[in-house]
Amino acid sequence: MTDIPMTDTSMVDSILTMAKQLKPAAIAAQALSFGYPDQPEVLCGITLTIQEGDRVGIIGHNGCGKTTLFMLLCGVLSPAAGEILLFGDLLQPGQFRPEVGLLFQNPDDQLFSASVRDDIAFGPQNMGLPPAEVNARVAQAADMTGITHLLDRLPHHLSGGEKQMVAIAGLLAMTPSIILYDEPTASLDLRTRRRLIRFLQNSTETVLISSHDLEFVLEVCDRVILIDDGHIIADGDPRAIMGDQALMEAHGLEKPHSLIPHNDPHHGA
Amino acid sequence: MHIPDGILPAQVCAAGYAITGLATWYSLRQINSRPDPTAEIPKASLLTAAFFVASSIYIPVPPASVHLILNGLLGVMLGYFAFPAILIGLFFQALVIGHGGITTLGVNAAMMGIPAMLAYHIFQSRHTLGKVLTEPTRTGLFAFLGGTLGLGIAALIFLALIIFNIPAELDAGAERAAILALSIAHVPLALIEGLFTAMLVLFVRRVKPELLEG
Amino acid sequence: MGVASHDTYLHRESVIHRWSPRLKLVSLLVLMFAFATVRQPILIPWMLGLAVGLYLLSGLPLAFLGQRLSYPGLFVLALVVLLPLTVGDTVLGQWGWLTLRQEGLEATLLIVGRFLSILTLGFILLGTTPFLTLLQAMRSLGLPTILADMTLLSYRYLFEIAAMLATMQQAMGLRGFGQGRQRWLRVNSQALQQLAMLAGNLLIRSYEQSERVYKAMRLRGYGYGVKRPKPSLADQPSPLSWGLAGGVLAAAVGLVVAEGLLRP
Repeated sequence: MTDIPMTDTSMVDSILTMAKQLKPAAIAAQALSFGYPDQPEVLCGITLTIQEGDRVGIIGHNGCGKTTLFMLLCGVLSPAAGEILLFGDLLQPGQFRPEVGLLFQNPDDQLFSASVRDDIAFGPQNMGLPPAEVNARVAQAADMTGITHLLDRLPHHLSGGEKQMVAIAGLLAMTPSIILYDEPTASLDLRTRRRLIRFLQNSTETVLISSHDLEFVLEVCDRVILIDDGHIIADGDPRAIMGDQALMEAHGLEKPHSLIPHNDPHHGA
Repeated sequence: MHIPDGILPAQVCAAGYAITGLATWYSLRQINSRPDPTAEIPKASLLTAAFFVASSIYIPVPPASVHLILNGLLGVMLGYFAFPAILIGLFFQALVIGHGGITTLGVNAAMMGIPAMLAYHIFQSRHTLGKVLTEPTRTGLFAFLGGTLGLGIAALIFLALIIFNIPAELDAGAERAAILALSIAHVPLALIEGLFTAMLVLFVRRVKPELLEG
Repeated sequence: MGVASHDTYLHRESVIHRWSPRLKLVSLLVLMFAFATVRQPILIPWMLGLAVGLYLLSGLPLAFLGQRLSYPGLFVLALVVLLPLTVGDTVLGQWGWLTLRQEGLEATLLIVGRFLSILTLGFILLGTTPFLTLLQAMRSLGLPTILADMTLLSYRYLFEIAAMLATMQQAMGLRGFGQGRQRWLRVNSQALQQLAMLAGNLLIRSYEQSERVYKAMRLRGYGYGVKRPKPSLADQPSPLSWGLAGGVLAAAVGLVVAEGLLRP
């Protein structure tokens, strides 16, 4: 428990901080370990806490365990050791937990219905909601992601960027509190990427983003976790971690361009 | 090798639908009696699409080329999902490629689907009948048998249906000669399918064995 | 043969397009079967007339039909050529050793007539009904859920998988597959092996994708036993739909009766 300073504004801050500490964390993972059968362990003893409303970037080179971590956090995979609490409730693998949503790397993997509207309705229908409610959620989710004009289209006629936004709408219709984004910018053109950045900057959910697109992470996240070799190497301020060249290079990454000190200013006005 | 519309009399088409209805009911019953039917639906569905696409691959046999039917392979890999898969494949043939076959859907499904289910059982019998052999010979041989018989039996049914339903005032001798000649022509085709099936199954066994557990 | 990148549905404003899907499906299927019963040559023009009439009502372009019907397949073609020359005793004409026989000619006309008519009805059905609507109509008529779900998923990924195959074939071609002399009537076993691996890869990649799709479906609640609502087909069919259905069914019955009466 931190000391309470005596000025008004920071008193409010401190009370808020204390309140946050009393509410259950959005995600609390304790000593998670996982390995695929016949393969060395992918994650070793991962412990992390994500607060509600956090926007966390997960960075690390290919194969460091980012996707596996996401699969564990939403219950698709079962950890070999350790436990996960979502808002204080223990996560049993295989349970249907609509409060967590996962955006897959390849939008084709998660747009499996024969029409966009049906796909967005899929989640709410499985939540047992009445048809009127389902329709309302579909309309709202489409509106939030700007794809209302695509509702009656067939998924395989959409571009990569459109598919991505439809997939996000499909998750939003379930009104999750936590959304995990796995390489969200991988198949996006620049315009849709910019739209996604703006969308995420305005979103209120707790968000975890696993990405190689470090500039994207810089713009959207207020916290970064660096993973390598199944362990958490660093956890904290994005600019501090990603700006540390030695740290980044030691774990197979590079400093994002915008953090490189420029001797030769070429960024215009 | 599917029978187009307009050749078979309506009674045969109706009988085809009846048999297909029965076989579908049987397959669905088997599927529903498994521990987790919904878990297998995505796998069966995507493989159905993949088989449909794969049947467009042709083997060059100069001066022509041969399209594979792959119903034996489908039986080997999909088990009880094979019959629904063939039904859906034929539906797509009408829908996506526009090759008709709606009145003959029942007949074609029965013609290709029942040998497919037979091929599945033949392949599965490798655990009992093939005990004397070692792998990979065991898997290869039974896959070959499944593929060959899958096509062979379907071809026989195809020929029988055609020959006995063409309004023919041909004498019995000519009819028999025709059947014999056409059957002999299908033997190399059946062997090629058998060989292809064996090669594919052995490849999958090396790369992704869990796909064969079906 | 290849997978078309679009399906057969063409949007038009026509009576047939607005026909209630369930009634349309049942009526056209019954008429198709009625066509299949025709054995009397005199009924061929009636059959063709009905088919063409309905096609014109549907507003679908004639070019579409022409293009699609240009697949009679080697098979029907072979019959068309062989039958008039081999079957029957009544000789209509003779040129050298080629004898045109009446029974064979009649048989051919019947086969071709039925083939063209039934196929035309098929194109009317598929050209005026979007895939999803068709599937919903079938479900409401009793298609089992497993079949409906499988059809939807297969259809959804059909085009992606076709694209996968095209890319792999291109890559193979760029690395020299298909080069080299081939002896006639011999199957190159190396080519066969490579094609088996091509198909095998296609199946494996599809299987792997299906695992990811299944995970995505589970995450959105699939398979937990929650009853998903059966898609409700819109309101009651319009009087026009009933009228059309009645007309088509009457025609079907008429044909079958005529066939029965005319049979010697």
